[in-house]
Amino acid sequence: MRLAEIVGKVTLSRSLPELKGGRLLLARPMTAAALALDAPDRGEDVVLYDDLGAGPGSIVGLSEGREAANPFGKIKTPIDAYCACLLDAIDVDPELALPAGHPALDTNRTRTL
Amino acid sequence: MQIGRVIGKATATIKHPTLARERMLIVQLLTSTGAADGEPVLAFDHLGAARGDRVILTTDGRAMQDLLGPKTPARYSVMGLPDAGQGVGS
Repeated sequence: MRLAEIVGKVTLSRSLPELKGGRLLLARPMTAAALALDAPDRGEDVVLYDDLGAGPGSIVGLSEGREAANPFGKIKTPIDAYCACLLDAIDVDPELALPAGHPALDTNRTRTL
Repeated sequence: MQIGRVIGKATATIKHPTLARERMLIVQLLTSTGAADGEPVLAFDHLGAARGDRVILTTDGRAMQDLLGPKTPARYSVMGLPDAGQGVGS
């Protein structure tokens, strides 16, 4: 389960019935530098299924692969990216998150969202 | 299973019901040479791992399904705290 920032949403003109009831959002996984220093770099875009009500800018727990379909139980769904939680506070220590030689290793910040 | 380093923690009030009362750590998975492997992940901890600890994460969602119920979207959980000096990025 990676951490991802919601950057937009996806609307479908036609979709499978299983997708009803939730929304599809566009998310970008957070890298170590992004978590530790608010750096702008992100991973590759992912479209995730959300039924918790995440909005643009919120950081969510991005469940992927088989586990993303678990919440649907016996219902067969094509979902492989699921919003498992909306993060309130992220506290990452740059000394631990960044490789030793990273230039920015001077501040230690707690970021409350 | 894969070795990782605890780089921080996170809290979430709005979450999937099976994740209630779970302690969430942010873990950077490591390759065999100790380098970072991909983006940091959220891992669920029952062993009391602290910041900076090296941990062994189970990467199979089965363990979390047994612990938290079949509908849990969780995958990574801390299953061991290796002693220091185990060679990998120690």
